[in-house]
Amino acid sequence: MSSIVCQDLCKTFAQGEERITGLDRVSLSIDAGELLCLSGPSGSGKTTLLNALGGLDTPDSGSIRLAGRRIDQLSRGARADLRLREIGFVFQAYNLIPVLSARENVEFVMQVQGVPVAARHQRAAAMLAEVGLAGLENRRPGEMSGGQQQRVAVARAIASEPRLVLADEPTANLDSHSATQLMDLFQTLNRDRGVTFVLATHDPRVMAYARRLIRMEDGRIIEDIAQQAAGRPSPGGAS
Amino acid sequence: MHWPLMSLLTLAWRNLWRNYRRTLIMLLAIALGVWAMIVMSALMRGMTDQMVRNGLATLPGEAQIHHRDFRLDPSVVNHMPMPAGNLLAQLNSAPITAWAARLRVPAVLASEYASRGVTVLGIDPAQEAALGSLPETLLEGRMLGSPDDRGILLGASLARRLDTGLGKRIVLMSQDTENNVADRGVRVVGIYQARLQGDEERFAYVGRGALQELLGLEQEVTEIAVSAADYRAVDAWLPALRASAGPGLEVLGWTELHTFLGTMLAVQEGFVLVFMVVVFLVLSFGLINTLVMAVFERTRELGLMQALGMRPALILSQVLLESLLLLALGLLAGNGLALATLLPLRDGVDISAVAEGMEMMEMSATLYPLLAGRDMLLSTAVVLILGLLASLLPAWRASRLDPVRALARH
Amino acid sequence: MNITWRLAWRNLWRHRRRTWLTVGAMVFCNTLLIFLISVQLGSYQMMIDNSLGAFSGHLQLQHRGFDEDQRIRQSVPAVSERALQVEALLAGEAVAARGIAYALASSEERSFGIQVTGVQPAREPGVSTLPGLLREGRYLSGADGEIVVGALLARNLRVGPGDEITMLGSGRDGSFAAAIATVVGIIESGIPELDRALAQVSLPWFQTVFNMGDHGHSVVVRLRNLDRVPAAVVALQPLLAGAPELVVLDWDQLQPGLRQAIRSDMASAWVMYGVLILLVAFSVLNTQLMSVLERTREFGVMLALGVSPGRLARLVGLETALLAALGLALGVAAGGLLGLYLQQAGFTFPGMEEMNARFNLPERIYPPVTLASLLWGPLTVFLGALLAAVYPALRLFGLQPVSAMRAS
Repeated sequence: MSSIVCQDLCKTFAQGEERITGLDRVSLSIDAGELLCLSGPSGSGKTTLLNALGGLDTPDSGSIRLAGRRIDQLSRGARADLRLREIGFVFQAYNLIPVLSARENVEFVMQVQGVPVAARHQRAAAMLAEVGLAGLENRRPGEMSGGQQQRVAVARAIASEPRLVLADEPTANLDSHSATQLMDLFQTLNRDRGVTFVLATHDPRVMAYARRLIRMEDGRIIEDIAQQAAGRPSPGGAS
Repeated sequence: MHWPLMSLLTLAWRNLWRNYRRTLIMLLAIALGVWAMIVMSALMRGMTDQMVRNGLATLPGEAQIHHRDFRLDPSVVNHMPMPAGNLLAQLNSAPITAWAARLRVPAVLASEYASRGVTVLGIDPAQEAALGSLPETLLEGRMLGSPDDRGILLGASLARRLDTGLGKRIVLMSQDTENNVADRGVRVVGIYQARLQGDEERFAYVGRGALQELLGLEQEVTEIAVSAADYRAVDAWLPALRASAGPGLEVLGWTELHTFLGTMLAVQEGFVLVFMVVVFLVLSFGLINTLVMAVFERTRELGLMQALGMRPALILSQVLLESLLLLALGLLAGNGLALATLLPLRDGVDISAVAEGMEMMEMSATLYPLLAGRDMLLSTAVVLILGLLASLLPAWRASRLDPVRALARH
Repeated sequence: MNITWRLAWRNLWRHRRRTWLTVGAMVFCNTLLIFLISVQLGSYQMMIDNSLGAFSGHLQLQHRGFDEDQRIRQSVPAVSERALQVEALLAGEAVAARGIAYALASSEERSFGIQVTGVQPAREPGVSTLPGLLREGRYLSGADGEIVVGALLARNLRVGPGDEITMLGSGRDGSFAAAIATVVGIIESGIPELDRALAQVSLPWFQTVFNMGDHGHSVVVRLRNLDRVPAAVVALQPLLAGAPELVVLDWDQLQPGLRQAIRSDMASAWVMYGVLILLVAFSVLNTQLMSVLERTREFGVMLALGVSPGRLARLVGLETALLAALGLALGVAAGGLLGLYLQQAGFTFPGMEEMNARFNLPERIYPPVTLASLLWGPLTVFLGALLAAVYPALRLFGLQPVSAMRAS
């Protein structure tokens, strides 16, 4: 059963006098449990599509259904709630709130959700341990490496058990060792927890992990292929 | 929607100190503003309070009863009987603490060298003492002993101008009930000093009985001065007094008797508020500026929070909370500073350098700042309410950030 | 335009909103200061003019001690001749002689103690505004037996023009003085104290009634403006040479409360202005400090290129000066417009009527726009803003190029 169904998504932006095309009649369906990569040159529309899927942005036309529910017509507040409860985000960099420690960053979303103190403490500790950051709970973002920061962001994204995690260029600022570690983590979470991942990237290391690869250009999907995922098959990839 | 207050507070508190220099400068500015609000209003309140007290001391009392024509035609012709019956009962019941029946008449005092127009007060010394309306300082001689005392008590300045002194005789001339000029020689039995030189020149005291006899009156008086504990609470007992006095008498509170004082008090109250608002408005530019910059610097972060599912209302309250913390800290410091300034001044500020200018405003040479809890509350209310209003704009802007654009910023 | 100026100007507009908010604080404060100071200066001027104009004048020649004790025997001999001498010494200024006595005034129905002033009817209007404030009847003609009284005194005595008033008092030699005068005019100054006590008769008749001979009590001088007072006091010294019992008193000695009231009002007002100016300075300090801190990297690059810290500090100083100049110009413009409007429309607030009456002021004030009222406040704000830039500019001297360039 399809988890996400998009139909005829269109979106244009104003840049100065010109209007540029972000999405041009994109239709796509994503099943639960997929690990999918959107790739393509910058300006091809992958980030725009990702933002639309996450309810960060609304398309000019077309429809997006998440588990059967239209999300493109929701109000600002309702979209915020949707992101809060059903979608996790990992961005390229500066993912964390600088004044909060690693644990507080992970707890932040749960706090907004209203999870009781004890439960969210426990859960945050467990999540940080799962992404391999046990012992670093009280560090602030400024005191961690880029890879560690990204893993905190992943821990935060999955802490609230979302249906879907969206990641935009998650490895762009990472060295290859950290990037591999992060992708191993994504893969493990996808396999063990059944979390659906949609990643926008032009990093070939990331694409190698995807089981479905979608290429975009000028706001259109030009290729949609299933592939054998690479990466280490061992469980608990993040060390 | 769930309001994670504690985590918002933590976030706001930490954000406040990210740019500690800016926060400290803003705190200093708010503290200075609050300090000025409280200290200035304490000084103004002290000033008006003293003016009112001095005014009430010479009025005297917080309310007066006259024949209904007396104020427009202040002549002995418009006299009234001594209080009796209902009125007397009312005067002797709480909350009225003291009253005095007196004759207040225009008169001329003449020595062998000079004469002056004055207001002569025929008093019952015991009643006036209870009312607290007798001159505070006796320089020479004695106070009047009884209503039938045949001596006169003069102010020092008037005695000098009349070229007379203790023990000397002067002539008192005034109009009697038949419109004839009655005169009698009286002996100066005491010289007093008043807080205001003008009062020394204006008022001379004689025995009520002696003056009634001179003016052809039996037991009649022209004025009853009434006092209760708090001059700000006159309206509580005035209507009952008015009702018991009947239609032939006019019962007026001090704000009507001495419109300048009443106006002063009202203007002072208004001015305190205006001053506070003005100080705050000047502050508000800095406050808005600080918040606008804080929001500007955190655009990306605020976008991230929205992307993570924080509703705009939460973003708004987070910025407001940050502003609230800043304001509260500033208020705390400002109130502390103001207390530290005002407590050592409790015993008065010497302003004798401008004493005569102060006398134009019925003030004496020492100013007692009056710290009213009301003013502290008012300044707190002004700063918090207007402060949050001013913060609404940057906070609203923060909550309306487009997460997609905000995240694209570095 | 010089490149430094251009740089400073453009830097100012990197954060449009912040710059405008800071300028806004200055403009608001400047407008407020111009308003307050012009009302203040305007009312002082009026307070002085009205108080002095009503009665005391700018200068008086009196017998030593008269101002303090006001005894009838403390008189000036040949007072009319003295007035002519004073007039000769102060060419072109208004001069008049007066006598002052106290009496019991009785109408048919009422009696009050009053102060009777003997005036020279032809000269009095030159030194006092009161003769011009007649409500009924006419002013003194100079004939014997005429009196003009204040409106409240007339009401208290229940008299109008044509009614008679009997005056009983004592003459200069202590003799009994009595006279009957006919009310010819009623003066309403709007100042209750004056209206309750005012009674004027002609000087020659006054001298007869109170047995004064050719004596009076003062020669009153009203100058064209306040600034001439010191020079006039000096000019009158020759008159005092042969008469040690005479003194010349200036307005400050005649009405000591006036200058002190002004001074105390001025002091409390400047405390208030000081607070406002300090708050604006904090605002500028904050803005300039932020603008320096956020440009740490940029300044590091400039230092690395060989620009001296002093030059950078001057740049920050210039930016502040431009910012403050903008606040000054807009503030003076806004305040000036407000001032011009108030000069036409006047200014009042509830309760001002009663308060102003105490200081001989009308119920509505029309504060004139002067250079002083226009520039005093804004220039102080300008200086405060420049001073506020000292700390941010000084920080530049501690900057190390390498670590500055690495700053985020």
